[in-house]
Amino acid sequence: MERSAVAPAAGVALIALGAAALPLVTRDSYYLDVATTILMNLTLTMSFRLQVSTGQINMAHISFMGIGAYASALLVTRAGLSFWATLWIGALVAALLAVPIGSVALRVSGPYYFLITFAFSEVVRLFFNNFFEGLFGGPSGLVGIPKPGRLLGLVFDGKLALYGLMAVLCVVVVLALVRLDCSRFGLTAGAIRQADLVAETLGVNVFRYKLTTFVLGSFVAGLAGVFFAHYRQVLHSSDFGLEPMVLLVVFTVIGGTGSVWGPVVGTILMTIASELLRELHHYEILVFGAVLILTMLFAPEGLVALPGAARRLLRRVRARTTAPAGAGLAP
Amino acid sequence: MSIELLVQALLNGFGLAMVYVLVALGLTLIFSILEIINFAHGEFYMLGGYVTYYLYALFGVNYFATLVLAILTVGIAGVVAERLIFHDLRGRALNAFIVSLGLLWVMQAGAQLAFGVLDKPVPSAFSGVVRGLGVVISVERLVVSLSAIVLIVALYLFLRVSRPGRAMRAVAQDPDAAALQGVNIDVVSALGFGVGCALAGGAGGLLAPLFAVSPAMGALPVVKAFIIIIIGGMGSLPGAVLGGLLLGGVEGLGALFMGSAAVNILGFVMVIVVLLVRPRGLVGGA
Amino acid sequence: MRIRASIATIVMVALVAAAVTATRGAAEDKTLTIGVLGPLSGGAASYGVELVRGAEMRADEINKAGGLKVGNDVYHIKLVSYDHKALAADAATAANKLVFQDKVKFIIGNAVGATCNAVQTVTEPEKVLFSFVCWGTSNLGPDKPYSFRAMLSQWEVAEPFYRWVKDKHPAVKRVALISPNDTSGKDTNTAVVKALKGLGFEVAADEYYERGTKDFYPILTKMLATKPDMLDVAAAPAGEGGLILKQARELGFKGAKGWTAGTNPFTIIGVAGKDAAEGVWSPTNINVKSDFVSATVRRFGEEYEKRYKEVPGVIAVANYAAFDVITKAMQDARSLETDKVLTALTQKPFDTVWGKLVLGGKDTYGIDRQFLYPMVISEIRDGKVVDIAQVLPAALKK
Repeated sequence: MERSAVAPAAGVALIALGAAALPLVTRDSYYLDVATTILMNLTLTMSFRLQVSTGQINMAHISFMGIGAYASALLVTRAGLSFWATLWIGALVAALLAVPIGSVALRVSGPYYFLITFAFSEVVRLFFNNFFEGLFGGPSGLVGIPKPGRLLGLVFDGKLALYGLMAVLCVVVVLALVRLDCSRFGLTAGAIRQADLVAETLGVNVFRYKLTTFVLGSFVAGLAGVFFAHYRQVLHSSDFGLEPMVLLVVFTVIGGTGSVWGPVVGTILMTIASELLRELHHYEILVFGAVLILTMLFAPEGLVALPGAARRLLRRVRARTTAPAGAGLAP
Repeated sequence: MSIELLVQALLNGFGLAMVYVLVALGLTLIFSILEIINFAHGEFYMLGGYVTYYLYALFGVNYFATLVLAILTVGIAGVVAERLIFHDLRGRALNAFIVSLGLLWVMQAGAQLAFGVLDKPVPSAFSGVVRGLGVVISVERLVVSLSAIVLIVALYLFLRVSRPGRAMRAVAQDPDAAALQGVNIDVVSALGFGVGCALAGGAGGLLAPLFAVSPAMGALPVVKAFIIIIIGGMGSLPGAVLGGLLLGGVEGLGALFMGSAAVNILGFVMVIVVLLVRPRGLVGGA
Repeated sequence: MRIRASIATIVMVALVAAAVTATRGAAEDKTLTIGVLGPLSGGAASYGVELVRGAEMRADEINKAGGLKVGNDVYHIKLVSYDHKALAADAATAANKLVFQDKVKFIIGNAVGATCNAVQTVTEPEKVLFSFVCWGTSNLGPDKPYSFRAMLSQWEVAEPFYRWVKDKHPAVKRVALISPNDTSGKDTNTAVVKALKGLGFEVAADEYYERGTKDFYPILTKMLATKPDMLDVAAAPAGEGGLILKQARELGFKGAKGWTAGTNPFTIIGVAGKDAAEGVWSPTNINVKSDFVSATVRRFGEEYEKRYKEVPGVIAVANYAAFDVITKAMQDARSLETDKVLTALTQKPFDTVWGKLVLGGKDTYGIDRQFLYPMVISEIRDGKVVDIAQVLPAALKK
C-alpha cells in the first residue's frame, strides 16, 4: 500500500478549504447541486475504500445508504422526529443491520464475498421496491420528505445551507477516515489486504478487523443516506441499486484504491466528467464507457498513482540518457 | 393445484434453462482462464441476437446457418476485445470489472445508436406446439433447448478432446505449470475469451426469435448466468448445467406461488445460501 | 520540462473552460430554450427517445416556418435534452442543470414515475412548466400547479374502455391483467381493477412482472389457470406485451385480448405475430398509417419515419402534441411567463393531432392539469390497427 505523500492534515485542510471556497466563486444552484452530490459521494467512496483496504469489495455498501435514508424518512414523516436526531439514528440503524449482514458475508472472501454482497444488495433493493408499500412507497417511491428543520436558529431550506451541511459532514468523515488510515488500524488493514494468513499468524483478529470496517463503513453510508433523503426529498429503490453502486466502485477504483486520497481524486474528476458529458445527450453513456476503458488501461493503479508513475518514468528516462555507454547499470 | 399445473410449471422453468446455461458457461470459461469477471458478457449475447436479426430476419439466411455465423462473429468480436482491452488484466479482477463495465456501456449505447431503440422482432423458425399429458411446449422452444444441449455437448467435447481445449483446461487449472509445458498463455487467453463470448452470442441467436432483440436485452441473462455459476460452482461445466436446472425449476415453480419480485428474491437467497454452505458451488471444486 | 508540462496543462484547461463557457453562454437574443428529459439509455430508452423525437419534430416545424411568434417577438426554439437513465437522483441533477444552467422555463417531456417526482422538487419551487407522460397519481395535484400530464392515463381510460367492452362484448366476464412492476404498472393495474370492479367484472388475475422479463411461461401458466375470458397486457411496453400475447397463444389461450396502456402497435404486432395480435383492443394506441387518422397525423408519421427510420409510437405523438399545445398557449398568452401560459392553457380547447384537446381532471386530481382528448378504441385485424369506436372525455362533450 502506498503511503500517501501528502501529509494527511494538509490533504484534509485542502478539501475543507476547497469546499469553503466554492460558494465564494459561485452561488449557481446547479453548481451547488453538483458540488453537494460530489461531497455526498465522497463520504460514500471514502468509506467504501476503507472496506476495500481490508480486501472487501462490498457491493452492498449502497444498501446501507438506503437503510439510513428510509429509516430517517419514516421517522421524520411518521414519528415526527427531527432530522437532527434521525441523522444519527438512521446511521445507527444502518450500522446495527451491518453487524449480522457483515458477519454472514465475511464467512467467504474474494470474489465470493463480492458476489454475496451483490446478492444482499439486490435482496434489499427488491425489498424496498416491492414490500411494505405503505411504508416505503413501492415502485412509485416515497415522496414528500421534508428538508432538515431548524438548528440553533439556522434554517436549512436553501441549496447553500444544505451544501454547507454536507460539506461539514464530509470534512468530518474524511478527517476521521484519513486519521484511521494513518494509524495502526490502517497499517493492519493494509496487511490484511495483502495477505490474510500472514496477518493471522502475526496475531491479528482478521475477522474482527474486517467486520469493524464493514460496520464503520455502513454507519457512514447510513449518514450519507439520511442526508440524501432530506436533500432530494424523494426516495426510490433504484437510488440504492446496482447502477449507483457501480458508480461508487468506478469512482474509487479510477481514483486508486491504494491511497486514501484515491476516492477524492476519482469522485471529483469523474463526477465533473460525467456532468460535462451530459452535453453529449444521447452519446453520454457511450463516451463515459470509453473514458472508463481508456483510463483503466492508462492508469491501472488509479489516477492518484499517476504522479508517482510519471516520476518513476522520468527518473528512468533521465538515467538512461545520462548513463555512460556500456556502464551496464540498470536504472 | 393439479399435477398437470405443477408439471407445466417445471417444464416452463426447464424449457429454456439450457440456453441460460450456455451464457453461464461462457462466463465461467472466461473466469477460469483469465481470472476476471466480464460484466459486458450480456452485450455479446445481445450482439449474437442482432447478427441473427440482420441475417435471418432481414436477409433471410437459413436459420441454422445464421446461428453458426452469429457464433463465429461474436467469437471474433470476443478475441478482438481480449487483445485490445483485457489481456493485460489477467487476475486483476477489480480493474477488469471497471473496464468490462465501460465496455458494457460502449456496446449498449453503440447498439442503440446503430440499431435503433425499439424492439425488433425476429420471425419464428418453427411454429406449432407440442401437447401431451396435459402440458404444452412450443416447437420453437423445444428446438432451441435441443440446440443448446448440442452446443453444450460440443463444448464439453472440445474441452476434453481437442488440443486447444485441453490447453484451456491446463491454463484454468494452473497457468504457470501450463506455461512450463509450452502452452502459449496469450493465445489461450484470446481463444478462451473468444469461445466464451461465442457461447453468449449463440445463446442470443437462439433466443432472438423467441424474445425479439433490443439493445438492453443482455442485462437479465447475465444476472441469471451469475446465479447459475455460483450455485453450480465456478469453472465447472456439469455444475453450470445443474445450476441451470435448479434455478429454472425454482423459478418455474416459484411463479405459481408467489409474485415476480419474490421469485427474484428467491434466486438471490439461493445464491446467499450456497455461498454460505458450499462456496465452491454444488459441483464446483475444479 | 516539468514547468513546460505545467504550462501546457494550464493552457489546455483554460482552452477547454473557454470552449465550454462559450458554447453555453452563446444564447442569442431571441432564443427560447426548452428542455426535454427522459431515459435515453438502458431498458426504458424507447420512452425517452420518443419524447425527444416528438419534441424535435414540432420544434423544427416551428423554426422552419420562421420561428415562434409570441406577442411582438419571434423566437428560435432550441431544444436541450438530458438522459436521466431512469434514476431519480440523476433526474434531479439533470433538472437542476436545465433550470439553473440552461435557464429553461419549460420542460416538455419526461417518463418514468419516480423521476417525475424528483424533477418536480426542482420545477415546482421555480415555477417551471413541466409536462410529462408519467402515470403516477402523485404526480398531479393542487400542490403542483406547474405540472401536467400530456397523455391520457389509466385514470381517464380504464373505465370508459371497459364500459365499452361490457357493452359490446358481454361474453367477457373474467379479466386477467399483467403489468411491469413499476410506477406505471402499479397505477395501471390499480386503475383497471377499480374500473373492473365498478363495472361488475371479475378480476381473475392481477399480476406483475420484473421489467426486462422475456419468458412469461411461468407467470402465464398461473394466470391462465384461472380461466380468464380476457387477457389485458395493461402497462406492458410493446416488446414485452407482444411476447406475453405470443406466449399466451402458445399456451392455448384463445380469449379476448386488451392493451389498456398501449403505445406502439407496430412493435406489438411484429413481436407477437399476426395471429397472436389478432383482435387486441386498445384505447390508447395510435396508428399513424391508419385510414382513420387525419392527414396531419399521417404526414407526421411519414416525416418521423423518414427522419428516424422507426415508426412513432403514442409517446412520440403525445409529446409532439404537447409541444404544439404549449407553444400555442404561449402565443395566446402573448408571453413566456409560465403563470400566464398556464392560464392560457386552461382557458379553451386546442386543435391538435389528437383532435380537440382540453385540460381537465379536477375530479381525479384536484386540479385541471390532465390533457383530455378523444379516446379512440382500436382493434388489431389482420396485422393492421383499425379504429372502431371513439369515446369523448366528459369535458369535451359540450
